Amino acid sequence: MDAILFFLFAAIAVVSAINVVVQRHPISSALSLVGVMGSLAVLYLLLGAEFIAAAQMIVYAGAIMVLFVFVIMLLNAGAEKSPRKGWILTAVAMPLLVLFLGMVSYIIQRGFPNAPLVVFGQFTGGSPKDVGMALFTRYLLPFEITSVLILIAIIGAVVLARKEME
Amino acid sequence: MNQFYTPTDHFSLLPALLLALFGCAILMLDFFVLPHPRQKRWLIFFALLGEFFAGLALYRQYRFLEDQSIPALRAFSDGLIIDGFSIFFNAIFVAAAVLVAIISYRYLEVEGEHHGEFYGLILLAQCGMYFLASGTELVTIFIGIELMAVTFYILVGFLRSDRRSNEAAMKYLLLGAFSSGFLAYGFSLLYAITGSTRLPKIAAELAQRPATDPLLLLAIVTTLVGLLFKVGAAPFHMWAPDAYEGAPTPVTAYLSVASKAASVAVLVRLFLGTLAPHRINWEPMLAVAVVLSLTIGNFSALSQTNLKRLLAFSSISHAGYILLGLIAGNRTGLTGICIYLFVYTFMNTGAFLVLISLRQKGMTGDDIDDLNGLIHRSPGHALLMALFLLSLGGIPPTAGFIAKYYIFLSLVETGHYALAITAALFVAVSIYYYFRIVRAMFLNEAGQLLPALPGWGARVGFAVTALATLAIGLYPEPIIRFAGTSLLR
Amino acid sequence: MNFLDLIWLIPLFPLAGAATMLLIGRKLDPQGHSDVALAPALAAEHGGDHGGGHAHAHGEHHHPATRRLIAFISPGAILLSLLFSLGAVAQLASLAKKSHEVILYTWITGLPFHTATGALSTFTADWGFLLDPLSSVMILVVTFVGFLIHVYATGYMAHDGGYYRFFGYLNLFVFFMLTLVLANNYALLFAGWEGVGLCSYLLIGFYFHKKSAGDAGNKAFIVNRIGDAGFLLGMFLLLSLTGSIQFTRVNEVLNSGVFHAETAGFGILSLTALFLFIGATGKSAQVPLYVWLPDAMEGPTPVSALIHAATMVTAGVYMVARSNALYSLTPETSAIVMGVGAFTAILSASIALVQNDIKRVLAYSTVSQLGYMFMAAGAGAYWVAVFHLYTHAFFKALLFLGSGSVIHAMSGEQDMRHMGALKDKIPTTFKTMFVGSVAIAGIPGLAGFFSKDEILWQVFSAPGGSKAVYIVGLITAAMTAFYMWRLMFMTFYGEPRMDEATAKHIHESPASMTVPLTILAAGSILAGWIGVPKLWSFLPESFRTFEHWLEPVFMRHAAEAAHGAHDAGHGDAALEWGLMGLSVAIAIGAILFARSLYGKAWKVDPIEALTGPMHKTLLNKWYVDEIYNYLFVDGLVKGGGTLLGRFDRRVVDGGVNGAGWLTRFTSTLSMWWDRWIIDGAVRLAALLAQIFSFPVRLIQTGQVQAYALVFLLGVGLFLGWRWMA
Repeated sequence: MDAILFFLFAAIAVVSAINVVVQRHPISSALSLVGVMGSLAVLYLLLGAEFIAAAQMIVYAGAIMVLFVFVIMLLNAGAEKSPRKGWILTAVAMPLLVLFLGMVSYIIQRGFPNAPLVVFGQFTGGSPKDVGMALFTRYLLPFEITSVLILIAIIGAVVLARKEME
Repeated sequence: MNQFYTPTDHFSLLPALLLALFGCAILMLDFFVLPHPRQKRWLIFFALLGEFFAGLALYRQYRFLEDQSIPALRAFSDGLIIDGFSIFFNAIFVAAAVLVAIISYRYLEVEGEHHGEFYGLILLAQCGMYFLASGTELVTIFIGIELMAVTFYILVGFLRSDRRSNEAAMKYLLLGAFSSGFLAYGFSLLYAITGSTRLPKIAAELAQRPATDPLLLLAIVTTLVGLLFKVGAAPFHMWAPDAYEGAPTPVTAYLSVASKAASVAVLVRLFLGTLAPHRINWEPMLAVAVVLSLTIGNFSALSQTNLKRLLAFSSISHAGYILLGLIAGNRTGLTGICIYLFVYTFMNTGAFLVLISLRQKGMTGDDIDDLNGLIHRSPGHALLMALFLLSLGGIPPTAGFIAKYYIFLSLVETGHYALAITAALFVAVSIYYYFRIVRAMFLNEAGQLLPALPGWGARVGFAVTALATLAIGLYPEPIIRFAGTSLLR
Repeated sequence: MNFLDLIWLIPLFPLAGAATMLLIGRKLDPQGHSDVALAPALAAEHGGDHGGGHAHAHGEHHHPATRRLIAFISPGAILLSLLFSLGAVAQLASLAKKSHEVILYTWITGLPFHTATGALSTFTADWGFLLDPLSSVMILVVTFVGFLIHVYATGYMAHDGGYYRFFGYLNLFVFFMLTLVLANNYALLFAGWEGVGLCSYLLIGFYFHKKSAGDAGNKAFIVNRIGDAGFLLGMFLLLSLTGSIQFTRVNEVLNSGVFHAETAGFGILSLTALFLFIGATGKSAQVPLYVWLPDAMEGPTPVSALIHAATMVTAGVYMVARSNALYSLTPETSAIVMGVGAFTAILSASIALVQNDIKRVLAYSTVSQLGYMFMAAGAGAYWVAVFHLYTHAFFKALLFLGSGSVIHAMSGEQDMRHMGALKDKIPTTFKTMFVGSVAIAGIPGLAGFFSKDEILWQVFSAPGGSKAVYIVGLITAAMTAFYMWRLMFMTFYGEPRMDEATAKHIHESPASMTVPLTILAAGSILAGWIGVPKLWSFLPESFRTFEHWLEPVFMRHAAEAAHGAHDAGHGDAALEWGLMGLSVAIAIGAILFARSLYGKAWKVDPIEALTGPMHKTLLNKWYVDEIYNYLFVDGLVKGGGTLLGRFDRRVVDGGVNGAGWLTRFTSTLSMWWDRWIIDGAVRLAALLAQIFSFPVRLIQTGQVQAYALVFLLGVGLFLGWRWMA
C-alpha cells in the first residue's frame, strides 16, 4: 500500500516538474509547480515528517506559489511566443541529463545495496515538537541566521523593485 | 543564557552579531534619520564604525586564543569554531568591506543610485562570510553561503537603470541557485553517509569509510562543484565575466575578492580538513579544474578589450593559482593560500579603484582605450595601475610575487612538478595582457578620459592598497607570520 | 669610512636619482613634457634613432638652467656609486677572506620543510648584499661604464624631449642592475632581474611615438618573461634540493660532496641548471630567445650602449658564473650551455655580415659576443667568461657610443650605405672607434685579444671544452673581424655617399660625448692587461690579477686550472702559441679582406657579390616570409577575423613585421630561423589563443541555459572521470 502511494505521488511530482519546464504559458507552469509541491508534501507525510509536510503546503504551495501566480497575473505575461531556438543545446542537454540521472541513481543504488524499502511510519521524529526542539537547541544558530537571510531577501526585493523616489 | 546559548557561544558569535546589527541600523538610519542624499556620507561612517567594532571583537577573540594558549574555541556544540584560520579570513573580509565601503561613495553618486542600503548590504554580506570562515556545521555553512550569495545578487543588480547590471544579476542568481542545489545535495549526502551535520563528527565517520565508496564520491563531486562555482573556477566560471562586467565596479571588486576568499575558506575547511583522507577522490578533479581555470582564464583574457571582463577572466586564473595551494595541501600551501587571498584583496581592489576613478558622467571608462596615455593625463593613476597590474602578474618586488612564490614553493615541495611548470608558463602568458594595459597607459597617445579628482575615499583607498601591495612585497614578514597563525588547526 | 658596510648604499644612489627625476623632474625641465607634441615633427625629420642633439638652429628650444641640474644629478648619482664601489672593493682586497655580506633585513622567511636530501631546512631570503670578487668586478663595470654613458647621454639627449624621464629611467635601471649583482640570494637577484627587464622596456620604447619602438619594447619584455619562467622554476628546484637560495649556502651545500656530479646523464641537478640557463638565454639574448635584442635598437643609442652591451645582457652570464658550483656538477647542461653559446655566436655573426644599419651590426655583434661568454662558461672557464664580460663592456660600449656619435654627425642617418669618408670630418669619433674595432677583432695588445683568445684556448683545451666548438669560435672570430671592419670601412673610408644637406651638417660631437669615448678607448687598450695568458711567462704574475682575484669564487676550477697549467708542459705550450698565432692571423686576414672589398670606392655592396646567388634568396629569406604570411596571417584573417584576428594583426604582426620590414633587406639564412621558428611561436600562441577562445565565444553566448549546460558538463566530467578511475 505504502509503495503504491509512494510511486503514485513520486510519478506525479516528476511529471509535474517536467511539465513546469515544458509548458508555454507561465500560469500552466506555476500550477504544475503547485502540483510538485503538493506531491512532495504527501511524500513527506508518508515518511512521517508531518510538520514538514504541513509547512510545505502552507508555505510553499500556499504562500510562495500564490505569490508567483499573483505576479504572473499582474504582469499579464502571455504564452511564450518564440519557438525554442538553439536546438543544439537541447540535443546535447537531454542525453546528458539522462546520463547524469542514470549515473546518480546507479551510485545511490550501489551506495545502499541492502537498504530495505522505506517503511512508512517508522520515523517518529517529525512531529512539530521534535522539530521545534531541534531548531531551538542543536540548530539554534542556523535558525537565527536564517532570519537575517530572510531580511536580506526582503531588502533585495524592495531595493530592486521600488519606484524611483526622486 | 541557557545551555544552548552559552557565553562562549556569544563570544564567538559577536562579530557576526555586530555586523548584522550595524547592517540593520544602517537601513533604519537611512530611512528615518538621513533621507537626504547629502547625508549619505554619515552612513559610510556608520558602516566603518560597525567594521571597527567587528574588528575589535575579532581582535578580542585573537587575544583570547593567545592568552589561553589554545588552538581553537568551539561553540554552538561544534557549530562554530574560532581559530587562527577563521580570524585571519575574517580579517580579510573586514579589510575588503572597509575598502569597498569607502570607494563606493563617488561611484554611486555618479550612477545616481546612491542608496543607503548599499552599505547595509555590504555589512550583511560580510555577516554571511563570517559563517563561512568560522562555520563547522553543514547547515550553518549553507546558510552562510546563501546569505552571502543573495546579498551579492542584490548588489550586482544595484544599478537598476542599467540593463547590463540587471542581466548580470539575473544570470548570477539563476546559476547561483542552480549550483546551490548541487551544494545542498552534496551536503545532504554527507549527512546521509555519516549521520551528522557537524564537521568533526563527519570527519571521524568518513575516516572509516573506504575511499572507493561511490556515494562518498558523489557527495564529494557535488559539494566540490557547488563550491567551485562560488570561487569562480572553470568549468563553473561562466557567470563570472557577465556578472563582473555588469555589476557596479565597487561590487565587482568586493565580489572578486571577498566572495572568493569566503568560498576558499569553506573549501579549505572541508577538503583539507574533513575530506583529507579521501584526497585521491578529489585531487584529480581539482587539478582538472585548476588547469582549466588557468587555461580559460588566461587565454580568454588575451582577447578582451573591456577591462572589467579582462579582470574577470584574470580573476578566474587567480582562482586557479589559489586552488593550486589546495592541491599541494601542505603547510606552505596553506600559507600560500592565505597570503594570496590577503594580497589579492589589496591589489585587485586597487586595480578596480582605478577603474572607478575613470567613471564619470557620460563615460563608462571600462575599456582599455580609455586608459590610453594615462601617464600624461594623470601620472598618479597610471603609476598606481601599473603597480597593481605588475603585482597581479607576480613581478617582484610586489606582493603578488610573494604570493605566487609560496604557491609555487608548495607545489615543488610536494612534488607536483608538472603543475608547477604549467602554472609558471601561464604566469608568462598573463603578463602579456597585463602589459597591454600598461603599454596603453604609458606609450599610447592620450585619450579623452581624465580620471576624476579623487575624493577622500579614493585617496585613502589608493593609499592603503598601494602601500599594502608594495610593503608586503618588500617586507612580507609580518603577513607571513600572521598567515602562519592560521595553521594552528 | 667603512665602505664595506655601506655597500647597500651603492644601489640606493641611483634609486634616489631616479626618484628625484621622476618626482620633480618635470619642474626642472618643463619642456620635457612636450615630447608628445614634438614627436610628429621629429618622426618626420628622421625615421630612425633621433640622432642626438644636432643643429636645431631652426627653432632652438630654450632650456632653462634647471635642466642642467638633471645633467648633474643623474650622472652624479652614478658617480657616487662608483666612488663607493671603488672604496668597498679596495677594502675588500685587504681582507683575508674576500667576502663581505651585509644584510639589511629579512625579506621572506619560510616554514621548515624537507629538502630533497631529507634534511630539514628553513629558508630565508634577505634583502642582503654580498661583496665578493665576482660582484666587485660587476659593480665596477656597471658603475664605471654606466657613469661614462650617463655623461655621454647628457650630450646626446640634449635636444630631446623627455629629458628628465630618460635619466629617471636610466638611473632606475642602474639601481636594479646593482641590486641584481650585489644580491646575496637568488630571490633578490630575481627582483633586480625583473626590474632591469622593466626598465629596459621603458627605455627601448622611449620614443613612444614610433610604433616600432613600442612593439620592440613589448617584444623584449615578453620574450624575457618567458625566460623568467625558467629561472623561477630553476630557483625553486634549487631551493628544494639545497634548502636555501642564498649564494654562500647553496655553494656550500653543492660543494660539500652531498651531490655527485651528474656525469652519467640528465638528472635533477641538470634540470635545475637547465632551467636557470633558460632564464639566462632570455636575458642575455641567446638562441632561442635572442630575437628581442636587434629590435631593441629602436631605443636611444645610450640605452643600447648601457643596457644591451655592457650591463643588462650580461646578467645571464653573471648568474651562470654565480651558480658555477651547480654547473660544474652538471656536465650535460654545461655542454648545452657551451653549444648554445657557440651556435648563437656563429648565427648572429653571420647575420651581422650583411646588415646595413650600423646599430644592427653592433646588436648582432653583441649577441655573438655573449655567445662567446657562454661558450667559456659552458667549458668550465668561468673566470674567462667574466673576463670577456669585462673587456666587452669597454669596447662594445665604446662602439655603440661611437656609432651614436656618427649618427649624430649624420643627422640621424643610420644606414652605412649612405655614409663614407667620415674619418677626417669626425676625427675623435673615428680614432676611438678604430680602437674599439681593433679590440673586438682580437688584435694582440688590446683588451679583446686577451679575453677572446683565452676563451678559444679554454674551449680547445679544458676538460669541458670541445674542439668542434673551438672551430666554430674561430670562424666566428674571423666573421667578427670582417663585419666590424666592413663597418669601419663603409663608415669612415672610401667615398662619401651621403646627400649634400647631410654632408654640410657633419660635425664632431660635443665634449660630453667625445670624452667618454676617449676614456673607453683607453680602457679598451689597457683593460686587458690584467688577464694576460700564462703562456706569456715573461710577464710577472701581477699581469694575471684578474684570474687570481676571482679564484675564491671559482675555487674548484682554480684547482683544476692549476692542474691544467702544470700539465701543460712544452708540447702544449707550443700548441697554444700556434693557436694564438692562428687566431691573430685569421683576424688580420679578415681585416685585410674587408679592406680589399671596401677600402676602395664601390657602388654595389660587395657583400652581395660575395654571397653570390645566395644573396637574392637570402634577401627574400628563402621566400619563407611569403609562405608564412599566407599560412598564418591570411589564415587567421580568413579563419574568423574577429577581435582576436585584429589584435593579432595589429599587435603581434605589427611588431614582428615592423622589425621584419627593416631587416627584410638585410637578412640571411639565419633570419629564416628567426622569423619562422621564433616569431612563429609567438604567432602560434596567438593562434592557440584564438583556438581556445573560439569555443569560449561559442559557449559564452550570454544564454543562461548554455551556462547551466556547461556547468552540468563539468559535473558530468568530474563524476564520470572519477567513476572510470
